[in-house]
Amino acid sequence: MGEGIVRYKRDVWGEEVILGVSWDLLWVIAVAIFLLLVAHAFVMAVMAKKNLDRPSKDGRRIVRHESIDRWFHWLMAASILVLIFTGTAPIIGMRIAWLDIHWISGLILTFLVIAHIIRASFWQDFKSMLLMPKDFSEPFDSSKKPGKYYFEQKGMHWAVTVVVLAVVITGVLMFMQIDTPFWDRTNSMPESQLGLVFLLHGLSTLALVALASTHIYFALRPEKIFYTRAMVSGWMSEDELAANHDPAKWAPKEAD
Amino acid sequence: MVATSHDVMPDIELYQPTDEANALDLANTLGSDGWILAGGQDTFGWLKDRNKNPSAMIELTQIDAWKGVREVDGGVEIGAVTTLTEIAEHPLIQSQYGLLATAASKVASPQIRNVGTLGGNLNQDARCWYYRRGLDCYRAGGNICYADSPEGLNREHALFGASRCVAVSPSDTAPALVALDATMVISSSAGQREVAAEDYFVGPARDIVNMTVLNEGEILTAVRLPSEWANAEFYFEKVADRNVWDFALVNIAAAMKVSGDTIEDVRLACGAVECVPRRLQSVEDAVRGQQRSEQLASRAGELATEGARPLNYNHFKVPLMANLVKRAVRA
Repeated sequence: MGEGIVRYKRDVWGEEVILGVSWDLLWVIAVAIFLLLVAHAFVMAVMAKKNLDRPSKDGRRIVRHESIDRWFHWLMAASILVLIFTGTAPIIGMRIAWLDIHWISGLILTFLVIAHIIRASFWQDFKSMLLMPKDFSEPFDSSKKPGKYYFEQKGMHWAVTVVVLAVVITGVLMFMQIDTPFWDRTNSMPESQLGLVFLLHGLSTLALVALASTHIYFALRPEKIFYTRAMVSGWMSEDELAANHDPAKWAPKEAD
Repeated sequence: MVATSHDVMPDIELYQPTDEANALDLANTLGSDGWILAGGQDTFGWLKDRNKNPSAMIELTQIDAWKGVREVDGGVEIGAVTTLTEIAEHPLIQSQYGLLATAASKVASPQIRNVGTLGGNLNQDARCWYYRRGLDCYRAGGNICYADSPEGLNREHALFGASRCVAVSPSDTAPALVALDATMVISSSAGQREVAAEDYFVGPARDIVNMTVLNEGEILTAVRLPSEWANAEFYFEKVADRNVWDFALVNIAAAMKVSGDTIEDVRLACGAVECVPRRLQSVEDAVRGQQRSEQLASRAGELATEGARPLNYNHFKVPLMANLVKRAVRA
Protein backbone atom coordinates (compact mmCIF):
# COMPACT_ATOMS: atom_id res chain seq x y z
CA MET A 1 0.00 0.00 0.00
CA GLY A 2 0.94 3.68 -0.04
CA GLU A 3 4.63 4.46 0.43
CA GLY A 4 6.13 7.55 2.01
CA ILE A 5 7.72 7.36 5.39
CA VAL A 6 5.13 4.85 6.56
CA ARG A 7 3.89 1.69 4.87
CA TYR A 8 0.29 0.65 5.44
CA LYS A 9 -1.58 -2.59 4.85
CA ARG A 10 -5.03 -4.08 5.34
CA ASP A 11 -5.33 -6.24 8.43
CA VAL A 12 -7.26 -9.51 8.57
CA TRP A 13 -10.52 -7.53 9.02
CA GLY A 14 -9.83 -5.29 6.04
CA GLU A 15 -8.95 -2.25 8.14
CA GLU A 16 -5.98 -0.09 7.16
CA VAL A 17 -3.17 -0.43 9.71
CA ILE A 18 0.48 0.58 9.87
CA LEU A 19 2.85 -2.04 8.51
CA GLY A 20 6.15 -0.33 9.29
CA VAL A 21 8.64 2.16 7.97
CA SER A 22 9.26 2.50 4.24
CA TRP A 23 12.63 0.90 3.66
CA ASP A 24 13.27 3.12 0.64
CA LEU A 25 14.33 5.58 3.32
CA LEU A 26 17.35 3.39 4.05
CA TRP A 27 18.79 4.38 0.67
CA VAL A 28 17.83 8.02 1.21
CA ILE A 29 19.63 8.02 4.58
CA ALA A 30 22.65 6.20 3.16
CA VAL A 31 23.05 8.65 0.27
CA ALA A 32 22.37 11.74 2.40
CA ILE A 33 24.87 10.73 5.09
CA PHE A 34 27.46 9.81 2.49
CA LEU A 35 27.13 13.21 0.77
CA LEU A 36 27.23 15.12 4.05
CA LEU A 37 30.33 13.29 5.25
CA VAL A 38 32.08 13.73 1.90
CA ALA A 39 31.27 17.44 2.02
CA HIS A 40 32.59 17.66 5.59
CA ALA A 41 35.77 15.80 4.63
CA PHE A 42 36.28 18.20 1.72
CA VAL A 43 35.84 21.31 3.88
CA MET A 44 38.15 19.89 6.54
CA ALA A 45 40.77 19.05 3.91
CA VAL A 46 40.76 22.66 2.71
CA MET A 47 40.95 24.00 6.28
CA ALA A 48 43.70 21.54 7.23
CA LYS A 49 46.10 23.41 4.94
CA LYS A 50 45.80 26.39 7.20
CA ASN A 51 46.15 24.53 10.48
CA LEU A 52 48.58 21.66 10.56
CA ASP A 53 49.50 21.92 14.24
CA ARG A 54 48.41 18.95 16.26
CA PRO A 55 49.16 18.26 19.92
CA SER A 56 51.82 15.66 20.57
CA LYS A 57 50.86 12.24 21.82
CA ASP A 58 54.21 11.99 23.61
CA GLY A 59 54.94 12.99 27.16
CA ARG A 60 52.95 12.28 30.31
CA ARG A 61 49.70 10.42 29.92
CA ILE A 62 46.38 10.88 31.65
CA VAL A 63 43.46 8.44 31.93
CA ARG A 64 40.52 9.23 29.67
CA HIS A 65 38.57 5.97 29.85
CA GLU A 66 38.71 3.20 32.44
CA SER A 67 39.11 -0.30 31.09
CA ILE A 68 35.55 -1.31 31.98
CA ASP A 69 34.13 1.69 30.07
CA ARG A 70 36.17 0.83 27.02
CA TRP A 71 34.81 -2.70 27.13
CA PHE A 72 31.28 -1.31 27.38
CA HIS A 73 31.89 0.94 24.42
CA TRP A 74 33.34 -1.67 22.12
CA LEU A 75 30.83 -4.35 23.04
CA MET A 76 28.01 -1.89 22.45
CA ALA A 77 29.58 -0.84 19.16
CA ALA A 78 29.94 -4.46 18.05
CA SER A 79 26.37 -5.36 18.99
CA ILE A 80 24.97 -2.26 17.27
CA LEU A 81 26.93 -2.99 14.08
CA VAL A 82 25.76 -6.62 14.12
CA LEU A 83 22.18 -5.46 14.70
CA ILE A 84 22.36 -2.98 11.83
CA PHE A 85 23.87 -5.58 9.50
CA THR A 86 21.49 -8.39 10.38
CA GLY A 87 18.49 -6.05 10.37
CA THR A 88 19.19 -4.51 7.00
CA ALA A 89 20.65 -7.54 5.20
CA PRO A 90 17.26 -9.05 4.28
CA ILE A 91 16.02 -5.60 3.25
CA ILE A 92 18.83 -5.17 0.75
CA GLY A 93 18.26 -8.69 -0.58
CA MET A 94 20.88 -10.75 1.26
CA ARG A 95 19.69 -14.22 2.11
CA ILE A 96 21.10 -15.07 5.52
CA ALA A 97 19.61 -16.64 8.63
CA TRP A 98 19.65 -13.32 10.42
CA LEU A 99 16.94 -13.49 13.03
CA ASP A 100 18.69 -15.51 15.75
CA ILE A 101 21.88 -13.46 15.45
CA HIS A 102 19.76 -10.30 15.55
CA TRP A 103 17.87 -11.08 18.74
CA ILE A 104 20.95 -12.43 20.51
CA SER A 105 22.83 -9.21 19.68
CA GLY A 106 19.76 -7.25 20.73
CA LEU A 107 19.73 -8.98 24.11
CA ILE A 108 23.44 -8.29 24.56
CA LEU A 109 22.89 -4.62 23.73
CA THR A 110 19.95 -4.42 26.13
CA PHE A 111 22.03 -5.79 29.02
CA LEU A 112 24.94 -3.51 28.14
CA VAL A 113 22.70 -0.46 28.04
CA ILE A 114 21.17 -1.31 31.42
CA ALA A 115 24.60 -1.92 32.92
CA HIS A 116 25.91 1.33 31.41
CA ILE A 117 22.99 3.35 32.81
CA ILE A 118 23.59 1.93 36.28
CA ARG A 119 27.34 2.50 36.14
CA ALA A 120 26.99 6.01 34.69
CA SER A 121 24.43 6.94 37.36
CA PHE A 122 26.35 5.71 40.41
CA TRP A 123 30.01 5.21 39.60
CA GLN A 124 30.86 7.69 36.88
CA ASP A 125 30.79 11.45 36.71
CA PHE A 126 27.29 11.66 35.24
CA LYS A 127 27.40 15.45 35.17
CA SER A 128 30.32 15.40 32.73
CA MET A 129 27.93 14.20 30.02
CA LEU A 130 25.08 16.61 30.79
CA LEU A 131 24.30 19.19 28.14
CA MET A 132 23.77 22.50 29.91
CA PRO A 133 22.52 25.75 28.32
CA LYS A 134 25.99 27.29 28.56
CA ASP A 135 27.42 24.41 26.50
CA PHE A 136 25.54 25.60 23.41
CA SER A 137 27.87 28.57 22.97
CA GLU A 138 30.96 26.34 23.08
CA PRO A 139 31.12 25.49 19.34
CA PHE A 140 31.05 29.21 18.46
CA ASP A 141 33.60 30.43 20.99
CA SER A 142 37.14 29.17 20.43
CA SER A 143 38.26 30.54 23.80
CA LYS A 144 35.93 28.14 25.60
CA LYS A 145 37.33 24.70 26.23
CA PRO A 146 35.16 21.86 27.45
CA GLY A 147 35.52 19.48 30.37
CA LYS A 148 35.81 15.76 29.64
CA TYR A 149 33.41 15.86 26.70
CA TYR A 150 32.88 18.68 24.24
CA PHE A 151 29.55 19.83 22.88
CA GLU A 152 29.41 17.60 19.79
CA GLN A 153 30.40 14.52 21.79
CA LYS A 154 27.65 15.17 24.30
CA GLY A 155 25.18 15.78 21.48
CA MET A 156 26.15 12.52 19.79
CA HIS A 157 25.91 10.65 23.09
CA TRP A 158 22.39 11.88 23.86
CA ALA A 159 21.18 11.36 20.30
CA VAL A 160 22.50 7.80 20.42
CA THR A 161 20.94 7.36 23.86
CA VAL A 162 17.47 8.32 22.64
CA VAL A 163 17.73 6.22 19.49
CA VAL A 164 19.22 3.17 21.22
CA LEU A 165 16.57 3.28 23.94
CA ALA A 166 13.88 3.46 21.25
CA VAL A 167 15.40 0.59 19.32
CA VAL A 168 15.86 -1.49 22.50
CA ILE A 169 12.32 -0.95 23.82
CA THR A 170 10.66 -1.67 20.47
CA GLY A 171 13.11 -4.51 19.91
CA VAL A 172 12.14 -6.17 23.20
CA LEU A 173 8.45 -5.87 22.23
CA MET A 174 9.21 -7.49 18.88
CA PHE A 175 11.38 -10.11 20.57
CA MET A 176 8.31 -11.19 22.54
CA GLN A 177 6.56 -11.95 19.24
CA ILE A 178 9.02 -14.62 18.12
CA ASP A 179 9.95 -18.09 19.37
CA THR A 180 13.02 -18.13 21.58
CA PRO A 181 14.55 -20.65 23.98
CA PHE A 182 12.86 -18.68 26.76
CA TRP A 183 9.26 -18.74 25.53
CA ASP A 184 6.98 -19.71 22.67
CA ARG A 185 5.55 -16.78 20.85
CA THR A 186 1.90 -15.97 21.40
CA ASN A 187 1.53 -13.88 18.25
CA SER A 188 -1.29 -12.11 20.01
CA MET A 189 -0.41 -8.41 19.73
CA PRO A 190 -3.08 -6.57 17.72
CA GLU A 191 -1.91 -5.79 14.20
CA SER A 192 -2.25 -2.03 14.62
CA GLN A 193 -0.01 -2.06 17.72
CA LEU A 194 2.43 -4.43 16.07
CA GLY A 195 2.64 -2.09 13.07
CA LEU A 196 3.40 0.85 15.33
CA VAL A 197 6.17 -1.08 17.06
CA PHE A 198 7.63 -2.05 13.67
CA LEU A 199 7.41 1.57 12.54
CA LEU A 200 9.23 2.92 15.61
CA HIS A 201 11.85 0.18 15.40
CA GLY A 202 12.37 0.96 11.72
CA LEU A 203 12.62 4.72 12.28
CA SER A 204 15.11 4.28 15.14
CA THR A 205 17.08 1.86 12.98
CA LEU A 206 17.34 4.48 10.25
CA ALA A 207 18.48 7.06 12.80
CA LEU A 208 20.99 4.58 14.19
CA VAL A 209 22.42 3.95 10.72
CA ALA A 210 22.91 7.71 10.31
CA LEU A 211 24.41 8.19 13.79
CA ALA A 212 26.68 5.14 13.61
CA SER A 213 28.05 6.21 10.21
CA THR A 214 28.67 9.73 11.47
CA HIS A 215 30.29 8.48 14.68
CA ILE A 216 32.61 6.12 12.81
CA TYR A 217 33.55 8.88 10.39
CA PHE A 218 34.51 11.30 13.16
CA ALA A 219 36.29 8.57 15.10
CA LEU A 220 38.54 8.07 12.07
CA ARG A 221 39.18 11.77 11.35
CA PRO A 222 42.88 12.63 11.79
CA GLU A 223 42.22 15.47 14.25
CA LYS A 224 39.96 13.23 16.38
CA ILE A 225 41.76 9.94 16.12
CA PHE A 226 43.45 10.40 19.50
CA TYR A 227 39.98 10.04 21.07
CA THR A 228 39.64 6.67 19.30
CA ARG A 229 43.11 5.73 20.52
CA ALA A 230 41.98 6.71 24.02
CA MET A 231 38.96 4.45 23.61
CA VAL A 232 41.32 1.59 22.69
CA SER A 233 44.19 2.19 25.09
CA GLY A 234 42.52 4.36 27.72
CA TRP A 235 45.00 7.27 27.71
CA MET A 236 45.64 10.62 26.07
CA SER A 237 48.68 12.83 26.42
CA GLU A 238 48.85 15.91 28.60
CA ASP A 239 49.52 17.88 25.43
CA GLU A 240 46.27 16.60 23.88
CA LEU A 241 44.46 17.38 27.10
CA ALA A 242 45.77 20.93 27.24
CA ALA A 243 44.98 21.60 23.58
CA ASN A 244 41.41 20.35 23.71
CA HIS A 245 40.12 20.46 27.26
CA ASP A 246 39.95 22.79 30.23
CA PRO A 247 41.80 21.24 33.21
CA ALA A 248 39.68 23.36 35.51
CA LYS A 249 36.60 21.50 34.32
CA TRP A 250 38.20 18.08 34.02
CA ALA A 251 41.12 16.91 36.09
CA PRO A 252 41.89 13.33 35.13
CA LYS A 253 44.35 11.16 37.02
CA GLU A 254 47.70 10.26 35.58
CA ALA A 255 47.99 7.02 33.64
CA ASP A 256 50.31 4.27 34.93
CA MET B 1 -4.76 -7.03 -0.46
CA VAL B 2 -7.23 -9.81 0.24
CA ALA B 3 -7.98 -12.05 -2.71
CA THR B 4 -10.71 -11.30 -5.17
CA SER B 5 -11.39 -14.32 -7.34
CA HIS B 6 -11.78 -13.72 -11.04
CA ASP B 7 -12.54 -16.28 -13.71
CA VAL B 8 -10.23 -14.66 -16.18
CA MET B 9 -6.54 -13.98 -16.35
CA PRO B 10 -5.38 -10.39 -15.93
CA ASP B 11 -4.05 -8.46 -18.88
CA ILE B 12 -0.48 -9.67 -19.11
CA GLU B 13 2.31 -9.92 -21.69
CA LEU B 14 2.97 -13.52 -22.70
CA TYR B 15 6.38 -14.57 -23.98
CA GLN B 16 6.76 -18.03 -25.46
CA PRO B 17 10.45 -18.60 -26.16
CA THR B 18 11.37 -21.69 -28.13
CA ASP B 19 15.03 -21.89 -27.24
CA GLU B 20 17.03 -21.79 -24.03
CA ALA B 21 19.04 -18.65 -24.76
CA ASN B 22 15.93 -16.63 -25.51
CA ALA B 23 14.19 -17.81 -22.33
CA LEU B 24 17.21 -17.03 -20.15
CA ASP B 25 17.58 -13.67 -21.82
CA LEU B 26 13.95 -12.84 -21.10
CA ALA B 27 14.27 -14.00 -17.49
CA ASN B 28 17.30 -11.78 -17.10
CA THR B 29 15.72 -8.76 -18.76
CA LEU B 30 12.33 -8.97 -17.10
CA GLY B 31 13.64 -9.84 -13.63
CA SER B 32 10.90 -9.89 -11.02
CA ASP B 33 8.38 -8.60 -13.59
CA GLY B 34 8.71 -11.85 -15.55
CA TRP B 35 6.76 -14.73 -14.07
CA ILE B 36 8.16 -18.12 -15.05
CA LEU B 37 5.32 -20.30 -16.30
CA ALA B 38 5.44 -24.03 -16.98
CA GLY B 39 2.27 -26.09 -16.39
CA GLY B 40 0.57 -23.13 -14.75
CA GLN B 41 -0.95 -25.07 -11.86
CA ASP B 42 0.61 -22.77 -9.27
CA THR B 43 0.50 -19.69 -11.48
CA PHE B 44 -3.12 -19.39 -12.51
CA GLY B 45 -4.49 -19.27 -8.97
CA TRP B 46 -2.14 -16.47 -8.00
CA LEU B 47 -2.83 -14.43 -11.10
CA LYS B 48 -6.58 -14.96 -11.29
CA ASP B 49 -6.91 -13.98 -7.64
CA ARG B 50 -4.81 -10.89 -8.44
CA ASN B 51 -2.58 -11.67 -5.46
CA LYS B 52 0.55 -11.64 -7.62
CA ASN B 53 0.70 -9.08 -10.36
CA PRO B 54 3.66 -9.63 -12.68
CA SER B 55 3.58 -7.65 -15.89
CA ALA B 56 4.75 -10.56 -18.05
CA MET B 57 4.86 -14.33 -18.18
CA ILE B 58 7.64 -16.41 -19.73
CA GLU B 59 6.15 -19.72 -20.78
CA LEU B 60 8.74 -22.51 -20.94
CA THR B 61 6.69 -25.36 -22.38
CA GLN B 62 7.95 -24.86 -25.93
CA ILE B 63 11.59 -25.35 -25.04
CA ASP B 64 12.31 -28.95 -26.00
CA ALA B 65 15.79 -28.91 -24.45
CA TRP B 66 14.23 -28.65 -21.00
CA LYS B 67 11.86 -31.56 -21.55
CA GLY B 68 12.24 -35.31 -21.36
CA VAL B 69 14.26 -37.98 -19.62
CA ARG B 70 17.74 -38.85 -20.86
CA GLU B 71 20.62 -40.99 -19.69
CA VAL B 72 23.76 -38.99 -18.96
CA ASP B 73 27.15 -39.80 -17.62
CA GLY B 74 26.65 -40.82 -14.00
CA GLY B 75 22.89 -41.11 -14.02
CA VAL B 76 19.74 -39.72 -15.54
CA GLU B 77 18.76 -36.14 -16.35
CA ILE B 78 15.16 -34.98 -16.36
CA GLY B 79 14.24 -31.67 -17.98
CA ALA B 80 12.43 -29.43 -15.54
CA VAL B 81 9.58 -28.87 -18.00
CA THR B 82 8.84 -32.61 -18.22
CA THR B 83 5.29 -33.36 -17.11
CA LEU B 84 4.68 -35.35 -13.96
CA THR B 85 2.72 -37.95 -15.94
CA GLU B 86 5.67 -38.51 -18.25
CA ILE B 87 7.96 -38.97 -15.27
CA ALA B 88 5.55 -41.30 -13.48
CA GLU B 89 5.18 -43.44 -16.61
CA HIS B 90 8.68 -43.31 -17.99
CA PRO B 91 10.18 -46.84 -18.17
CA LEU B 92 13.66 -45.71 -17.14
CA ILE B 93 12.40 -43.79 -14.11
CA GLN B 94 10.03 -46.59 -13.18
CA SER B 95 12.73 -49.24 -13.40
CA GLN B 96 15.66 -47.40 -11.82
CA TYR B 97 14.20 -44.57 -9.77
CA GLY B 98 10.82 -45.92 -8.79
CA LEU B 99 10.78 -43.58 -5.81
CA LEU B 100 10.42 -40.56 -8.08
CA ALA B 101 7.94 -42.31 -10.36
CA THR B 102 5.73 -43.10 -7.36
CA ALA B 103 6.07 -39.60 -5.88
CA ALA B 104 5.17 -38.02 -9.24
CA SER B 105 2.16 -40.31 -9.56
CA LYS B 106 0.85 -39.10 -6.18
CA VAL B 107 0.82 -35.40 -7.09
CA ALA B 108 -2.67 -33.86 -7.23
CA SER B 109 -4.85 -35.46 -9.93
CA PRO B 110 -4.29 -37.07 -13.35
CA GLN B 111 -5.42 -33.89 -15.10
CA ILE B 112 -2.96 -31.76 -13.14
CA ARG B 113 -0.13 -34.26 -13.64
CA ASN B 114 -0.77 -34.16 -17.39
CA VAL B 115 0.13 -30.47 -17.54
CA GLY B 116 2.03 -29.94 -14.28
CA THR B 117 5.81 -30.19 -14.57
CA LEU B 118 8.59 -31.39 -12.34
CA GLY B 119 9.98 -27.83 -12.12
CA GLY B 120 6.56 -26.48 -11.24
CA ASN B 121 6.04 -29.06 -8.53
CA LEU B 122 9.42 -28.26 -7.01
CA ASN B 123 9.17 -24.48 -7.28
CA GLN B 124 5.55 -24.00 -6.30
CA ASP B 125 4.94 -21.40 -3.63
CA ALA B 126 3.72 -22.07 -0.09
CA ARG B 127 0.18 -23.39 0.14
CA CYS B 128 -0.69 -21.73 3.45
CA TRP B 129 -4.26 -20.57 2.95
CA TYR B 130 -3.76 -17.25 4.71
CA TYR B 131 -0.89 -16.47 2.35
CA ARG B 132 -2.82 -17.70 -0.68
CA ARG B 133 -5.84 -15.66 0.41
CA GLY B 134 -3.75 -12.56 -0.14
CA LEU B 135 -3.29 -11.49 3.47
CA ASP B 136 -0.19 -9.45 4.22
CA CYS B 137 1.54 -12.07 6.34
CA TYR B 138 5.30 -12.33 6.92
CA ARG B 139 5.78 -14.28 3.69
CA ALA B 140 3.90 -11.59 1.81
CA GLY B 141 6.07 -8.81 3.27
CA GLY B 142 4.01 -8.15 6.40
CA ASN B 143 4.84 -8.51 10.07
CA ILE B 144 2.58 -11.29 11.34
CA CYS B 145 1.85 -14.97 10.76
CA TYR B 146 -1.90 -15.49 10.75
CA ALA B 147 -1.56 -19.27 10.76
CA ASP B 148 0.38 -19.15 14.02
CA SER B 149 -1.90 -16.69 15.82
CA PRO B 150 -4.07 -17.90 18.74
CA GLU B 151 -7.09 -18.26 16.43
CA GLY B 152 -5.04 -19.46 13.45
CA LEU B 153 -5.99 -22.68 11.69
CA ASN B 154 -2.78 -24.56 11.18
CA ARG B 155 -3.67 -28.21 10.72
CA GLU B 156 -1.48 -28.45 7.61
CA HIS B 157 1.43 -26.40 8.91
CA ALA B 158 4.96 -27.00 10.16
CA LEU B 159 6.31 -29.15 12.97
CA PHE B 160 9.91 -28.07 12.46
CA GLY B 161 11.97 -25.09 11.40
CA ALA B 162 9.30 -22.40 11.83
CA SER B 163 10.79 -18.94 11.90
CA ARG B 164 7.88 -16.49 11.99
CA CYS B 165 6.28 -18.26 8.98
CA VAL B 166 4.92 -21.79 9.59
CA ALA B 167 4.15 -22.81 6.00
CA VAL B 168 5.42 -26.19 4.76
CA SER B 169 6.98 -27.48 1.57
CA PRO B 170 3.97 -28.74 -0.40
CA SER B 171 5.83 -30.79 -3.00
CA ASP B 172 5.61 -34.58 -3.31
CA THR B 173 8.58 -34.89 -5.65
CA ALA B 174 10.92 -32.75 -3.50
CA PRO B 175 11.44 -35.29 -0.68
CA ALA B 176 11.92 -38.02 -3.30
CA LEU B 177 14.69 -36.02 -4.96
CA VAL B 178 16.37 -35.30 -1.61
CA ALA B 179 16.26 -39.03 -0.81
CA LEU B 180 17.75 -39.80 -4.24
CA ASP B 181 20.54 -37.26 -3.67
CA ALA B 182 19.55 -35.45 -6.85
CA THR B 183 21.27 -32.38 -8.24
CA MET B 184 19.36 -29.34 -9.45
CA VAL B 185 20.65 -27.63 -12.58
CA ILE B 186 20.03 -23.88 -12.46
CA SER B 187 20.56 -21.78 -15.58
CA SER B 188 20.74 -18.08 -16.18
CA SER B 189 22.12 -15.82 -18.86
CA ALA B 190 25.34 -15.75 -16.80
CA GLY B 191 25.81 -19.51 -16.95
CA GLN B 192 24.85 -22.63 -15.08
CA ARG B 193 25.21 -23.79 -11.51
CA GLU B 194 24.37 -27.02 -9.74
CA VAL B 195 22.89 -27.33 -6.29
CA ALA B 196 22.17 -30.47 -4.28
CA ALA B 197 18.43 -31.05 -3.92
CA GLU B 198 18.82 -30.86 -0.16
CA ASP B 199 20.27 -27.35 -0.42
CA TYR B 200 17.88 -26.15 -3.12
CA PHE B 201 15.03 -25.44 -0.72
CA VAL B 202 15.21 -22.54 1.71
CA GLY B 203 13.49 -22.09 5.06
CA PRO B 204 12.00 -18.85 6.39
CA ALA B 205 14.89 -18.17 8.76
CA ARG B 206 17.09 -17.56 5.73
CA ASP B 207 14.52 -16.22 3.28
CA ILE B 208 10.94 -15.70 4.34
CA VAL B 209 9.77 -14.69 0.87
CA ASN B 210 11.29 -17.35 -1.41
CA MET B 211 11.23 -21.12 -0.95
CA THR B 212 14.22 -21.97 -3.15
CA VAL B 213 17.71 -20.67 -3.82
CA LEU B 214 16.66 -19.40 -7.26
CA ASN B 215 17.71 -15.80 -7.79
CA GLU B 216 16.10 -13.29 -10.11
CA GLY B 217 16.79 -14.33 -13.71
CA GLU B 218 17.52 -17.95 -12.83
CA ILE B 219 15.50 -20.93 -14.02
CA LEU B 220 15.57 -24.53 -12.81
CA THR B 221 16.22 -26.31 -16.10
CA ALA B 222 16.99 -29.91 -15.15
CA VAL B 223 17.28 -32.40 -12.34
CA ARG B 224 20.02 -35.05 -12.31
CA LEU B 225 19.58 -38.35 -10.55
CA PRO B 226 22.84 -40.06 -9.61
CA SER B 227 23.39 -43.68 -10.61
CA GLU B 228 24.55 -44.31 -7.05
CA TRP B 229 20.94 -44.64 -5.92
CA ALA B 230 19.53 -46.30 -9.04
CA ASN B 231 17.73 -49.57 -8.34
CA ALA B 232 17.92 -49.10 -4.58
CA GLU B 233 15.03 -50.18 -2.41
CA PHE B 234 12.49 -47.37 -2.32
CA TYR B 235 9.54 -46.38 -0.21
CA PHE B 236 7.18 -43.47 -0.77
CA GLU B 237 3.97 -42.83 1.08
CA LYS B 238 1.76 -39.79 1.13
CA VAL B 239 -1.05 -39.16 3.59
CA ALA B 240 -3.56 -36.48 2.65
CA ASP B 241 -7.17 -35.74 3.47
CA ARG B 242 -8.15 -37.02 0.02
CA ASN B 243 -6.44 -39.66 -2.04
CA VAL B 244 -6.58 -37.47 -5.15
CA TRP B 245 -6.13 -33.73 -5.73
CA ASP B 246 -4.74 -32.84 -2.36
CA PHE B 247 -1.49 -31.80 -0.77
CA ALA B 248 0.28 -34.08 1.68
CA LEU B 249 -0.33 -33.76 5.39
CA VAL B 250 2.91 -35.71 5.63
CA ASN B 251 4.83 -37.70 3.03
CA ILE B 252 7.93 -39.85 3.35
CA ALA B 253 10.55 -40.80 0.78
CA ALA B 254 13.21 -43.41 1.49
CA ALA B 255 16.04 -44.83 -0.58
CA MET B 256 17.83 -47.80 0.95
CA LYS B 257 20.59 -50.17 0.01
CA VAL B 258 19.81 -53.40 1.74
CA SER B 259 21.89 -56.56 1.88
CA GLY B 260 20.03 -59.46 3.39
CA ASP B 261 18.29 -57.82 6.32
CA THR B 262 20.99 -55.22 6.86
CA ILE B 263 20.47 -51.61 5.85
CA GLU B 264 23.84 -50.72 4.34
CA ASP B 265 22.99 -47.17 3.36
CA VAL B 266 19.90 -45.02 3.49
CA ARG B 267 18.55 -41.55 2.73
CA LEU B 268 15.24 -40.41 4.15
CA ALA B 269 13.28 -37.22 3.62
CA CYS B 270 9.93 -36.12 4.89
CA GLY B 271 7.67 -33.57 3.24
CA ALA B 272 4.97 -31.20 4.60
CA VAL B 273 6.48 -31.03 8.09
CA GLU B 274 8.84 -28.10 7.48
CA CYS B 275 9.25 -25.32 4.95
CA VAL B 276 11.86 -27.50 3.22
CA PRO B 277 11.88 -31.26 2.63
CA ARG B 278 13.20 -32.50 5.96
CA ARG B 279 16.15 -34.82 5.60
CA LEU B 280 16.12 -37.28 8.51
CA GLN B 281 19.83 -37.56 9.10
CA SER B 282 19.56 -38.76 12.71
CA VAL B 283 17.32 -41.61 11.57
CA GLU B 284 19.71 -42.46 8.74
CA ASP B 285 22.63 -42.60 11.19
CA ALA B 286 20.64 -44.75 13.60
CA VAL B 287 19.55 -47.36 11.06
CA ARG B 288 22.61 -47.48 8.83
CA GLY B 289 24.39 -50.80 9.29
CA GLN B 290 21.55 -52.18 11.40
CA GLN B 291 19.41 -55.26 10.88
CA ARG B 292 15.84 -54.43 10.02
CA SER B 293 13.45 -55.15 12.83
CA GLU B 294 10.24 -53.88 14.35
CA GLN B 295 12.24 -52.41 17.20
CA LEU B 296 14.58 -50.53 14.86
CA ALA B 297 11.62 -49.17 12.90
CA SER B 298 9.94 -47.94 16.08
CA ARG B 299 13.15 -46.28 17.23
CA ALA B 300 13.46 -44.62 13.81
CA GLY B 301 9.95 -43.21 14.12
CA GLU B 302 10.70 -41.79 17.57
CA LEU B 303 13.96 -40.26 16.41
CA ALA B 304 12.33 -38.67 13.38
CA THR B 305 9.94 -36.62 15.47
CA GLU B 306 12.42 -35.49 18.11
CA GLY B 307 12.32 -31.72 18.39
CA ALA B 308 8.90 -31.40 16.75
CA ARG B 309 7.02 -28.29 17.86
CA PRO B 310 3.39 -28.75 16.93
CA LEU B 311 1.07 -25.77 16.57
CA ASN B 312 -2.50 -25.54 17.90
CA TYR B 313 -4.09 -27.93 15.42
CA ASN B 314 -1.37 -30.13 13.96
CA HIS B 315 -0.34 -32.37 16.85
CA PHE B 316 -1.66 -35.32 14.85
CA LYS B 317 1.25 -34.88 12.45
CA VAL B 318 3.73 -36.09 15.09
CA PRO B 319 2.47 -39.69 15.34
CA LEU B 320 1.65 -39.62 11.62
CA MET B 321 5.23 -38.73 10.77
CA ALA B 322 6.61 -41.28 13.25
CA ASN B 323 4.46 -44.03 11.74
CA LEU B 324 5.40 -43.16 8.16
CA VAL B 325 9.09 -43.31 9.04
CA LYS B 326 8.52 -46.57 10.87
CA ARG B 327 6.81 -48.05 7.83
CA ALA B 328 9.57 -46.81 5.53
CA VAL B 329 12.28 -48.46 7.61
CA ARG B 330 10.27 -51.63 8.13
CA ALA B 331 9.15 -51.99 4.50
